[in-house]
Amino acid sequence: MKVNGVPVTPPDPDARLLDYLRDDLGLIGAKEGCGMGECGSCTVLMDGVPVCSCLVLVCQAEDADVTTVEGLRRTALQEAFVTGQAVQCGFCIAGMVVSASALLAEHPDPTDEQIRAGLEGNLCRCTGYGAIVRAVREAAR
Amino acid sequence: MSPHPRTAAEVDRLDPARALLAGGTDLLVRRRAGHQGGPLADVSRLRDAPAPVRRLSDGSIWLSALAPLSVIDRELGGKLPGLRAAIACFASGQIRNRATLGGNLANASPAADGVPPLVVAGAVLRLRGPAGRREIPVTEFATGPGRTRLAPGEWIENIDVPPQPAHAGFRKIAGRRALAISIVSLAWTWDRGPGGALTGVRLAAGAVAPVVVRCPGAEAALEGRAPTPDVVAAAVAALGHDISPISDLRASAGYRRAALAGALTEALTPALTEAPARRNT
Repeated sequence: MKVNGVPVTPPDPDARLLDYLRDDLGLIGAKEGCGMGECGSCTVLMDGVPVCSCLVLVCQAEDADVTTVEGLRRTALQEAFVTGQAVQCGFCIAGMVVSASALLAEHPDPTDEQIRAGLEGNLCRCTGYGAIVRAVREAAR
Repeated sequence: MSPHPRTAAEVDRLDPARALLAGGTDLLVRRRAGHQGGPLADVSRLRDAPAPVRRLSDGSIWLSALAPLSVIDRELGGKLPGLRAAIACFASGQIRNRATLGGNLANASPAADGVPPLVVAGAVLRLRGPAGRREIPVTEFATGPGRTRLAPGEWIENIDVPPQPAHAGFRKIAGRRALAISIVSLAWTWDRGPGGALTGVRLAAGAVAPVVVRCPGAEAALEGRAPTPDVVAAAVAALGHDISPISDLRASAGYRRAALAGALTEALTPALTEAPARRNT
């Protein structure tokens, strides 16, 4: 497995990917919200596509390239979240940014509908999503 | 959890007590809740896993039971629009990147969104296991919520979908668009015959009976008829006798009946506007 481009050898193949990233590697960007695949706070990229790291076991990612929010280059996307005040408590934001980065990789100039669909698996209980959608739209410009 | 099988033959030889872990989007949730605590075997990375979508020369399509839904969706292109519509409203992007049709079928939820399109398509499941291979129509696979005809150690490798009629679709009604379990769902296929008559009508409904069910009464009310408003009303009335919904935390039985009637009416509306009978009204 590679995590953010670095080869790693996880000690426990049966651990959840989320726990390995946070507890063993100290990559605490991905958060455990629900632990059931419903909130998206633990979203990481696995071979380029967003997955909930709470629902992947380490052994299932054995050959995968995993990218966490820490591994994303600091880009216009993160800047847009900050300048657009798209962050309130921040718990969901790492997952939002990871999902949004995958969305922009697939749709460099997304419609609002595509943005909302791309973020459908990420819940935010603070912002009401408006500022987040605007930030992604801004980043695409 | 080791050993992890890397070939289908190794899966066949596993201890039948091991639960098979594919996408894990249901199994790992149940495990976290303290259910299904026994040993697992990861089947998500078999070297000889079937191709996600294989198009045969006779027009049928083989779907891998082990491929993520998002891959199936992408590789189907314009084929199986009913299944693609179901995948489009299945949970979320993150879940679709992991969840499999095999898992959706084997969980045997009456609300499984992947199943009604396979039921109307007349899909056949190719199973394999310690006792060899066999086929079973998807309509006979689930026997109740969470119960299937899988024998110990048996698993789903492929889903064979025969050539399909021209029209197919899927409608889900749920509390929200993403990450919601269906309150009701409806899948349909049909062709149009002379005079706009509907032929080969198949309907399947989810979350209105212990398993996903075909709707023979409503199908018979539509078969061979051009879909006039009267025909649609008769089909909706017949649909009520095809289903046995319950009230639960998501909706009442009455709501389910009304929502499914609305879904069928909506499904037929494009056909209605095309029908010759409609042009004279």
